[in-house]
Amino acid sequence: MSQQRGGSSSAPIAPMKAIGHATPRIDAVERVTGQAIYTRDVQLPGMLYAQVLRSPHPHARIRTIDLSKARALPGVKAILTHENCQVVWGAGSISGGSQYNDQMKKITKHRRYAFNNPVRFVGDPVAAVAAVNRHIAEDAIQVITVDYEVLPFVLEPEDALKPGAPQIWSEGNVSPNNKNEIEPMTQRRGNIDEGFHQAAQVFEGRYTTAFCHNAQMEPRACVARWEGDTLTVYTPTGGISNCHHDIARDLGMPDEKVRVICQYMGGNFGNKNQNQDADLITAMLAKEAGAPVKLELSRKEDFIGMHGRWPTVQYYKVGVTRDGTVTAIQMRAYSGMGPYRKNSGGIAGIELYQCPNIESRIYPVYTNKTVSGNYRGPADPQGYYPIQSMMDDIAYKLGMDPIEFILKNMVRQPPNATFTNYTLDECIRRGAELFDWKKRWKPRPGSDPGPIKRGAGVAFMAFRSGVGMSSAVIQVDATRRYTLFVGVTDVGAGAKTTMDIIAADELGVAVSDVKVVWGDTDRCPYSVGESGSRTTIMTGRAVIEAARDLKRQIAAEGWPTGDAVLTASASPNPKTPGQVRNCFGANFVEVEVDVELGDVRVLKYLTVHESGRIINPLTATSQIKGGVGMGLGMALHEDMLYDRRTGRPLVTGYYFDRVPTHRDVPDIEVTFIETDDGYGPYGAKSIGESGMIQTPAAISNAIFNAIGRRMTDLPITRDKILGALA
Amino acid sequence: MKTFANANALDLRHAVTLAQQAHQDGRTASFAGGGSDLLALVKERMVTPDVLVNLKTIKGLNQVTSGKGGATIGGLITLDALGRHALVRRQWPLLAQAAESVATPQIRNVATLAGNVCQRPWCWYFRNGFPCLKNGGRTCFSVTGENRFHAIFGGGPSYIVHPSDVAPALVALDATFRIVGPAGERVLPAAEFFILPRQDAARENVLAHDEVLASVEVPAPRLGMRSTYHKVLDREAWTHAVVSAAVVLAIDNNVCHDARIVLGGVAPVPWRAHDAERVLVGQRMTPELAAKAGEVALAGARPLEKNAYKIPLTKSLVKRAVLALSALG
Repeated sequence: MSQQRGGSSSAPIAPMKAIGHATPRIDAVERVTGQAIYTRDVQLPGMLYAQVLRSPHPHARIRTIDLSKARALPGVKAILTHENCQVVWGAGSISGGSQYNDQMKKITKHRRYAFNNPVRFVGDPVAAVAAVNRHIAEDAIQVITVDYEVLPFVLEPEDALKPGAPQIWSEGNVSPNNKNEIEPMTQRRGNIDEGFHQAAQVFEGRYTTAFCHNAQMEPRACVARWEGDTLTVYTPTGGISNCHHDIARDLGMPDEKVRVICQYMGGNFGNKNQNQDADLITAMLAKEAGAPVKLELSRKEDFIGMHGRWPTVQYYKVGVTRDGTVTAIQMRAYSGMGPYRKNSGGIAGIELYQCPNIESRIYPVYTNKTVSGNYRGPADPQGYYPIQSMMDDIAYKLGMDPIEFILKNMVRQPPNATFTNYTLDECIRRGAELFDWKKRWKPRPGSDPGPIKRGAGVAFMAFRSGVGMSSAVIQVDATRRYTLFVGVTDVGAGAKTTMDIIAADELGVAVSDVKVVWGDTDRCPYSVGESGSRTTIMTGRAVIEAARDLKRQIAAEGWPTGDAVLTASASPNPKTPGQVRNCFGANFVEVEVDVELGDVRVLKYLTVHESGRIINPLTATSQIKGGVGMGLGMALHEDMLYDRRTGRPLVTGYYFDRVPTHRDVPDIEVTFIETDDGYGPYGAKSIGESGMIQTPAAISNAIFNAIGRRMTDLPITRDKILGALA
Repeated sequence: MKTFANANALDLRHAVTLAQQAHQDGRTASFAGGGSDLLALVKERMVTPDVLVNLKTIKGLNQVTSGKGGATIGGLITLDALGRHALVRRQWPLLAQAAESVATPQIRNVATLAGNVCQRPWCWYFRNGFPCLKNGGRTCFSVTGENRFHAIFGGGPSYIVHPSDVAPALVALDATFRIVGPAGERVLPAAEFFILPRQDAARENVLAHDEVLASVEVPAPRLGMRSTYHKVLDREAWTHAVVSAAVVLAIDNNVCHDARIVLGGVAPVPWRAHDAERVLVGQRMTPELAAKAGEVALAGARPLEKNAYKIPLTKSLVKRAVLALSALG
């Protein structure tokens, strides 16, 4: 990894003591020696084990459920179904698909219960059992008899909008917005007709992207315990604060009666920054049974019962002048949401271009597949890939180098605002130089002789790095030991370590001098949650403010003595008025395609990334590498297929999902351009999602350069390559 | 998972007796070697044995014993040990290559030769518990469904492809299989061990439910014999062959005297390409001849809706495997 301090459009950054230096994770030893306590490791006295019976049908009405045999099994302590548990999982279905809150609770019509009738996808929970051991719980769900009235189902979003399609909700299959209007998500700028009028040529394309699972290492799990009217929930969550508030709201309890604990978890990648239905089911079983309950989802359940990136179908029309200036972008798209709108269904990408005339309509469509949800860059890679493929294609058709075309048309200023700083052109120019683009890129695609053909591709990104509210508390005692309380969990990005580094530098002490307390709503203040690439920016800012306050207190009052401690807290809520804060980056890829076997091998992958100041180069580099690996999986491997005759899923775990292994992912070269725009902690910007979002586009563009065929459907598998070349 | 009893076998006859006893008591039994495939099926309740007959306690069944006519390889040898075995690597390189191409190091450390040959199909309909022919049902869902990985030869009524890597290699080597059962031993040519779905759609081989694949005999290599296992994977580890080619050629003075071409991933059994072998025998090895062998090997393939790509893919693979062997000095 190389680092360049000081971007062209920002002031050079000043070196710091801990920040900017590679710091191993503060919990690395606990993790690799098996001392770390994950949810599954939590053992409570008298704890019961739960199993969930899930719908085998994509759409069915439950007529009756016969529990008599299950109840008769010795050791069965509680059984829940839609008949005796009517808890609404608020975050599971939201009008408009944005963050669930008290306002949205009132508005949302298409409610998702912990147990639904009718069931609307294969994997929808039908019943849950708590028993004295795992085997009895499993035996019990085997002997529950459910009488289903099987209903017609629909799997693909375009099919769901055809006349006569099965209606998943009575209002139809387009999911309503946050005012319950049945309208697509629409964006307009300038005058689209005028834009096409100005164009010398108009290009059209249809692209599809697949349903991909987050495939995080740790399947969902939960342990719940009641003590009187107080509930403690152990759960792998990417946001203890939101999870806590969601559980309290869904169960009709005051927040202070719920405690959420997440000390260690095995991956998030989106969609754990709320509560899970597993949390609610476990809590209700524990209440019913009068004992603590543990629920552990299998890998298969985690795949079929949970969420993945919404699959999309996208149509584009792009107008360009003779000199290659884009004058109009029109887009119509369909996102397959599953039967509930858990998240937005948005598709990003158009905003990457400076084009004055745009029009987009995105339909979030209900289907009978597993529910879609947030996944690392929720709206981004599935939108970046089509639009950057379209633009790449247009560049070739106009006889332009794709980089020349990007530099001419990429966003330089957001609508009605400015960027806090801007380094996109620098990322692209520097990347092209480091990658040796002129040497690797083929002016004539597919021109390598022989069956093994090389090609190069490029894609770029600009991704939100907004500031916002979060909290931190710091204490110091008479022995001058510092304790930092932050409501973060470590979803994999190293948030605990990041907060420690920031506190240490601001307090002027060593990283090891600060003890970090995390992941417990009874002990930690509000934190924004490990989603949206914002923990470092928002909670990191709060840590700085709290540390500064503590230093002021020490200066004013002196060090504490005896049992006294000094405590400082901060909940800053900074803004960037009139300004948009983004991180920027560009990816350069060289691939080798074996046109006889359809093999795609990524030979070289180079990224140049501007995420402001890098707090910990070790974890920052890992974020980019991990993101690229996931993007590679989305580009070449992953596709949650369903059987069209039965509506049942076929890709139910790591084996069939073909998530890339270490041997599939090349060495990834990461270069950071470091800047400080004056916001965030010392200028740090977002990094967690922006590493993956341009990867499918870059790989697909490189494949085009290698073989001269535009691949319009993800994933780009062997059969598609051989089909295109046939 | 349904709870089961474990019974350790002392030798092969004891293993068979343990299974027979279970059956006489009205209980079901399964033989477990490495157990890597069986355990997954048991956890999903696709197999629900009352008794698990543990073969790992049988001594000496994990060895390679060489003799005049070739070698006997015990069915319990792990794929890792098979792939590393010096004699195997020297005399039958394709068998070592096939063994070391399987799954992941963790799986190869426990999975056995016999288990790999006998493993159940990895069709996603079967593994996801669809009521298909392999799960005791009456349809093969792949015919009108997602059949990208299914058979282009020998299909019907089931269109699974045989999942084993070592099986095509053993067929190409003219190996014989020794089977132990209640009636004693029987020995079969490898090719006759596997059965097509039109014979019995619920099974992939001739083993009765109380028979064990004990060992395989591999004949000594003939003069000028060379071999290779070429495999196409959709992921670099832990997935089965999209297609594969086990090729054994006897070449003298650049003329092919004998040939075996056995394809994996194209049929419910290891699929021998007799016509392609005939194309090679007696001919001088050239790139054109290799390409012709590939063409002929795929003649008569009948693809389903989504697996026609296997035809050009396998043609190229056969061509490359044959070329690779002709290039060896």
